[in-house]
Amino acid sequence: MTGTDLHFDDDEDALAAEYVLGVLDLPDRLAVEARIKADPDFAQCVTDWENRLADLNDDFAESPAPNLLPRIEARLFPGSPARKVKEGRGRWSWLAGAVAASVLILAVVATLTPPRVGLVATLATADARLSYEVRSFGSTLQVTRVAGLPAVQGQVHELWLIAPDAAPVSLGLLQDQVLSVSYPVPPAGWTFAVSIEPEGGSPTGQPTGPVILTAVVAGEA
Amino acid sequence: MSDDPVATSISLCASGDRAAFRALYRDTSAKLMGVLLRILKERAEAEDALQEVYTRVWLRAGRYDPAKGRGMTWLIAIARNLAIDRLRARVAMLDDDGLDTVADTAPRAETRLIAQGEARRIAHCFDTLDPERADAVRGAYLSGLSYVELAARHAVPLNTMRTWLRRSLFKLKECLDQ
Repeated sequence: MTGTDLHFDDDEDALAAEYVLGVLDLPDRLAVEARIKADPDFAQCVTDWENRLADLNDDFAESPAPNLLPRIEARLFPGSPARKVKEGRGRWSWLAGAVAASVLILAVVATLTPPRVGLVATLATADARLSYEVRSFGSTLQVTRVAGLPAVQGQVHELWLIAPDAAPVSLGLLQDQVLSVSYPVPPAGWTFAVSIEPEGGSPTGQPTGPVILTAVVAGEA
Repeated sequence: MSDDPVATSISLCASGDRAAFRALYRDTSAKLMGVLLRILKERAEAEDALQEVYTRVWLRAGRYDPAKGRGMTWLIAIARNLAIDRLRARVAMLDDDGLDTVADTAPRAETRLIAQGEARRIAHCFDTLDPERADAVRGAYLSGLSYVELAARHAVPLNTMRTWLRRSLFKLKECLDQ
């Protein structure tokens, strides 16, 4: 190939293409995934490549899947009709909608004078040198580091919620800001956990690093 | 987007419609299972990944923009990205023993692509590539092959493979964007 003209205008677009094609190794993929979240222009390059190569998707043969919906819904919708939680009031489906729209979106909560400020759980080391508090504000959980430091450079603390006998669901990354997640108070017996993950969060959707903190949601107050 | 029922279902999920979520699972899980199986090869892991994919679909539905692409394209991107991340994490853990999984993935995209009316364009654009390079692009996209695996499979140095693929992708972009 002598075509020296055959080059990308910029490495950014080439990187987006390589990510969509899937050829990068894990550290590079994680770096790209962090970039997608932070850089809308780059995210658009990735979307453009997904669309360009989408016709290749025709070659993925269908394969009947078992009905995993009950397990998926058990992860997503705490408080099935059988469970009553104090926040419930029979509005779980509405709350689930709020969760759908905004869980995983990090936000700093502005001044709040909430009607109900409840401590849901405290995640702390035995010596309390690292400690996070989970509080409920209506249909929002707010997680604040009350002692200790965030993860070292290149790593991050990730918060998980685990229903009994279910896989952990990520609630988000614990960084310098308060983590605010649209999520109801979990039923008693559910577990919060914090693991150490690579920058940008777990690549697999499940904890990959060591779990450093756990706390079980106590019985209803 | 009435011509894209998958997109409609995703938008309904974003508004908290759990019935739409169930319908979406019913209508698309076989396709996504096919994607996960092709890349991960193991059914148990593919089923575990499928749960994670639909969890992400529900949680991220609010970020889907029908103006930016078809619903199925968005779903498959989520499935592929999760599967490839898991594959790379697995290979890293197995200490580079992952080449065993390469042999069984003969790309057969061409024949199927030609049969698909709406896929004629990408088939035409693949025809502009050297056949071996076109194979490498398809092997990466469909089976999740890494640069390292592609270089071993085509018996070329890693940097050569990188150059091949970047040039091939650029040619594809020029052709597809025309």
